[in-house]
Amino acid sequence: MAVIRDMIPPCELFQPASIGDALNLLDQYGDDSWVLAGGLDSFDWFKDRIKRPEAIVDLGGIEELTGIRADGDGLVIGPMTSLTEVATHPDIVGRFGLLAQAAAEVATPQIRNQGTLGGNLAQDTRCWYYRGGWPCYRAGGNICYASAPKAMNAEHCVFGASRCVAVNPSDTAPATIALDAQMVVTNSSGETVYDAEDFFIGPGIDIERMTVMEPGDLLTSIRIPGTWAGADFYFEKIRDRQSWDFSLVTVASAIRASGGTIQDARISVNGVAPYPMRLDEAERAVIGQAASDDTGIAAGDIAIRRAQPLRHNAYKLPLMKNLVRRAVRAEV
Amino acid sequence: MAEKAIGRDIAPPDLRAKITGRARYAEDFRAEGMLFAKLLLSPMPHCSVRRIDASAALAMEGVVDILTADDPMMPEITGVGAEAALTNEPLYEGEPVLAVAAVDETTAANAIEAIRVDFEPLPFVVDPLDSLRPGGPNARLDGNIQWREGQTREIREFKWTDADFDAAGPDRLPMGEPQVEWNVGDVGDGFADADLVLEETILHQSLSHHPMEPRTCMAYWQNDKLYLHASTQSTARTHAALANRLGLDQSQVVLVAEYCGGGFGSKISGAPINDVAAILSRKTGRPVMLRINRYEETYIGRARPGFQSFAKMGFRNDGRVTAIDLYIVQDAGSYGSSGDFNTAGTVASLSYQPESMRFRAVSVYTNTPPRSAQRAPGGAQIVAMLEPIMDKAARELGVDRLAIRRVNAPGPDGWLGANQGSLSSCFAREALDIGAEVFGWEEKTQLSGTRRGTKSIGVGIGVSPFVGGSRGMDGLLVIRPDGKLYIHQGIGNLGTHSIADTARAAADVLGMDWNDCEVVWGDTSRNLPWSSSQSGSQTTHAHTRANHAAALDAKAKLQEIAAGALGGSPDAYDCADGRVFQSSNPGRGMSFADAARRAIEMGGRYSGQELPDDLNPMTVASATNLAGEGLMGVARDNYGGDGSIWSWVMGFAQVEVDVETGQVDLTEYTGVTDCGTVLHPRSLGAQIHGGSVQGFGQARSQKWVFDPQWGVAFAKRFYTARPPGILDVPLEMKWAAVDLPDPQTPVGAKGIGEPPVGAGAAAVASAVADALGGQCLCRTPLTTDVVLAALTGTEQPYRPLETHV
Amino acid sequence: MELWRRAANPWNQDVLIGISFDLMWAALIAGVVFVTAHALWVRRLATANGHGDDAPAPPGLPMRILRHTFSARAFHWLMAIAMFALLVTAFFPWAGIQFPWVTIHWLAGVLLILTVIYHIIHSTFWQDFWSMWVGKEDVETAKREVKRFFGKEQPEGPKAAKYPLDHKMYHHVIVVVTFAAVLTGVLMMFRVDTWFWERNPYILSDAMWGVVYVVHGLSGVALISLVIAHIYFAIRPEKLWITKSMFSGFVNRKDYLEHHDPERWAGDSPRGQLPEQT
Repeated sequence: MAVIRDMIPPCELFQPASIGDALNLLDQYGDDSWVLAGGLDSFDWFKDRIKRPEAIVDLGGIEELTGIRADGDGLVIGPMTSLTEVATHPDIVGRFGLLAQAAAEVATPQIRNQGTLGGNLAQDTRCWYYRGGWPCYRAGGNICYASAPKAMNAEHCVFGASRCVAVNPSDTAPATIALDAQMVVTNSSGETVYDAEDFFIGPGIDIERMTVMEPGDLLTSIRIPGTWAGADFYFEKIRDRQSWDFSLVTVASAIRASGGTIQDARISVNGVAPYPMRLDEAERAVIGQAASDDTGIAAGDIAIRRAQPLRHNAYKLPLMKNLVRRAVRAEV
Repeated sequence: MAEKAIGRDIAPPDLRAKITGRARYAEDFRAEGMLFAKLLLSPMPHCSVRRIDASAALAMEGVVDILTADDPMMPEITGVGAEAALTNEPLYEGEPVLAVAAVDETTAANAIEAIRVDFEPLPFVVDPLDSLRPGGPNARLDGNIQWREGQTREIREFKWTDADFDAAGPDRLPMGEPQVEWNVGDVGDGFADADLVLEETILHQSLSHHPMEPRTCMAYWQNDKLYLHASTQSTARTHAALANRLGLDQSQVVLVAEYCGGGFGSKISGAPINDVAAILSRKTGRPVMLRINRYEETYIGRARPGFQSFAKMGFRNDGRVTAIDLYIVQDAGSYGSSGDFNTAGTVASLSYQPESMRFRAVSVYTNTPPRSAQRAPGGAQIVAMLEPIMDKAARELGVDRLAIRRVNAPGPDGWLGANQGSLSSCFAREALDIGAEVFGWEEKTQLSGTRRGTKSIGVGIGVSPFVGGSRGMDGLLVIRPDGKLYIHQGIGNLGTHSIADTARAAADVLGMDWNDCEVVWGDTSRNLPWSSSQSGSQTTHAHTRANHAAALDAKAKLQEIAAGALGGSPDAYDCADGRVFQSSNPGRGMSFADAARRAIEMGGRYSGQELPDDLNPMTVASATNLAGEGLMGVARDNYGGDGSIWSWVMGFAQVEVDVETGQVDLTEYTGVTDCGTVLHPRSLGAQIHGGSVQGFGQARSQKWVFDPQWGVAFAKRFYTARPPGILDVPLEMKWAAVDLPDPQTPVGAKGIGEPPVGAGAAAVASAVADALGGQCLCRTPLTTDVVLAALTGTEQPYRPLETHV
Repeated sequence: MELWRRAANPWNQDVLIGISFDLMWAALIAGVVFVTAHALWVRRLATANGHGDDAPAPPGLPMRILRHTFSARAFHWLMAIAMFALLVTAFFPWAGIQFPWVTIHWLAGVLLILTVIYHIIHSTFWQDFWSMWVGKEDVETAKREVKRFFGKEQPEGPKAAKYPLDHKMYHHVIVVVTFAAVLTGVLMMFRVDTWFWERNPYILSDAMWGVVYVVHGLSGVALISLVIAHIYFAIRPEKLWITKSMFSGFVNRKDYLEHHDPERWAGDSPRGQLPEQT
């Protein structure tokens, strides 16, 4: 069969108005269904005819999946809330600025208007071997092309490789981990709540998925607890160009300090592993320490300790180290 | 008298249509019964088609026909290494193999998916050096280079020896027998005279053109005449090339191409793929639309050839270049005969006027997409490669970096190339001086290497000359009885405003108010004259001249008509404001409208019944069609002139490099040009800035990546190829022009499209090197990983000669 | 049911990438069907012709006869652990139970290889290597078994040497299947990160890789059926004495005499003697 790219084949589009209807559709079509949020990831797949779902379930018409509301001292964000709204909503900007900043760094204004928080969190990897439709592990095959001796893997992972060496490209994912967010996943048998760091999975667990969500599951809300409201946040995304580019390495951190001493910290990075990583060891290393460059350097060293670079991506080590260092130092 | 049109900001006539969306590009046309075609692309970098099974596709409802390379209606494309629109031996992944026409595009696409092609993989190569190795693979069955000797051209196998490779080691350019060599003076002496000799291995990657509009085309036939809507830079030249490819008489082809969404050298005279729409339409007897999508465009849309090279330069203590020894291995891609490497040698000689120079090169075919000219072909590469070496020399010699450019830049007596040719004019030093002032070089250079937080500041200069004109084209205009001046342009509307701006020369000669001028362009049924191709920045120079000549012809005719009617000698008459009148008594004269009526009555040469005999046949045909419609000005540009015509842009950039992340922010940019007389300031600024932005991408972010195992491309989407976005462009961008006329051309104007690219690229590459403390990374692009590895002293992500990464 | 999994490689060539997941279920079902059928058949047989053995014991025969030395038992159980780990890590994810299995799988594979190497050396130089050989008597026994199966009265015997024929047959099938799995598995370790070498998925052509994956897959699913059968026999009441011996090392005199021909056993023994006595 010859290959056609850049042209969506005809398919069936469903636009349910409620979560219940959406779940029914997902159950009905099972593996042949596809959940469509903003479409920025999905349409690439459809256009290239690599993923050819039978039924596309567009969540755009489900009002209950949109919006930002207070929940105790935290927030509940509907996954279909646009990234622009996440980036500009006063409650998010004011109290959970980390997430607003992360959302503001996504792609371009147009993409942020169309793209959703849920879609950004649940997006697939951008490994170009995989995206090229090559039959790699992640695509159900039995090979990783990106880790071959001469492969082009400057943008691949330095941690967490398990056959697959792709990275998670989400800008908002590390922010949700740093904010200790929870993801509410709903399917026809009920609701499950995951901590953000457990929501994202690596290829060791399931090589064909980026998150715990399986066919039939919907991300129905993102809960941001009040724990880190108003903490000192640091977010930085490094990329080759300033718009419409995925990160090489991203860091997101939330730190509470008093009297120059770090009381508590959560640090997460993305672009270095097939999942956004929480840096528990680095966190432990900085708690109780002065929020200084030295602490930052020490944390950075710890953070990259077990990294295993591929042929072209050793630069991610100093980059990640320095970003962690800056996240900690930003306190100064 | 009407204000001169030259030198003013006047909105071009296509502006409203473009802004409001009324402008119709090739894809916007529809015709009764139109079919849509889709292409089947080769999945392999080199293979041959063993068998095509299209039975399932042809049985699908709505599928009308198929076109393969074997189709007897396909034109035979001759010429060494020439490229047909469809092939049975694809030479790169993505090369079109066949096309299917169906009632709609979805059906056509589904039909393509239903076709089974049995491809036999053939040996392939993506790195030119691999092909030069003894026993290395050839990109073509018959060899790996195009050998040229006099008029002979042939594909040959060209290999170096193991000793050549062993002598160089893995990270220095092996320099076996060259395909081309020229010498000026003796480089041995030049290096002996030098106080400082620098030697670098430099890699410049290949780059896709990425025009916004893909090369979509739509064709239909009426009786025996082909109507083609296409995206092309040129009109007259594309018309001629198309007729030639299809074996048609030019009168059998109507090309409609009023707008072009960017070409940058990739659409100079159309595109091979136009054949597919034309032939499928002839075969099916129905109009055929072949929409090219972004994916296809990246494959068939051409690319700039990459270089793997060695440069050795000798300097005297004052920075004067005593010798340049340059060896370039060019990645020639799968098709095309890009002369980038030759131009690179010429540009190096022109920029630095070395006392001696040796140039050697070999251009090697690879199984990667076809190469063609890209905005300053060869020039943009070489200045981005050599300018950081100039900086390094300045640093080591303790010479100011502006001064080292100045001391080497040519004056009007400068020379270039193997034959040490002369220049029509040159105000390079003046441009440097203005640039230094506008940019504030004195103060900025003090910032070099200073820190702002974690950011290290660097400033850089890019000296970038490129060809800026040609001579000998035709001009054609008509003053009609409505009193308006109709300037017919055979040049294409490639987005530079030159269709309008070069017409200003005619308006000013005739003293015509620009509002009374109409530009006729973009449709060969509208009687267009023979023109230069819209490449090599020829147009401004060539067609201000041609229009000037045609206007002088018209003016002479006006004077004769007026003198005949009103008495006195023709010389006593002048033209202004739509009238021809006695200079001594402006009240005595006649309107152009009256003169046009008289010209029609008089016939003969006045209204185009008789034509000069040195016109191109295309101009003759157009003028003949227009004959009798008004007073015709028609002439070939016979102004002549000495020396080759070159324009310059001096780029000045300031960057901030974050020493902890390798992130480069371009904070300021100034481009200053010597392109002769300024025709249209706003448009000139757009050219300088727009071209420079392309250069920023070339230097910084734009990628071209292949998997070496499979020879398959990765950077084929905008987000993976990473041409610069608007946020990569500094908020503050300035431009200026020397604005001194080239004395050898009547209007004084030279082209400007190309030199800004190299200026932007070189200024940024130099500024990054400066921010790194004078470290020349000697490769493009300077992506974050490369810069960070240099900053942290860790291993570079790529070997120095590793290409397509 | 699909037999193979195929994919389009980067050049859009159709390549074999492995066996169909369906085959796992097929092997599982085949194993269960065999076990059920056998159980039913044995029950019928048992009611038809039960028999005892009252042959006189050779003089000096101890109460317990050593059947499996400690090292042989250690080998068996280590191999069993490896095999279980391999099967679980291979097939649970196929069945939808996801967990990080790759490292355990190849480590278990390495353990299996080590036990196999140990076993080859041990059985060649220290054990009764020929005891696994299928001899003339075994063929005779087989013939009689078959005839008996079809309802023909057959005389008893000859009794087994150290290992009965079904054990020998099972052993040889396991040898073939395990070798296939191990050899292909070692090649497949070039496709993942291990301690031994740099990953390189291009050491073989796509077509060869297809064969490797299919052989590995087929041997893998075959092992599902074989292991089911093995466990089934191990827990069958009339075979429990053998299973016990795989724990303790010994068979008792009664079972020994009932199932084995001491002469032949001795013949298998490397020193041509009766089994060790305790």
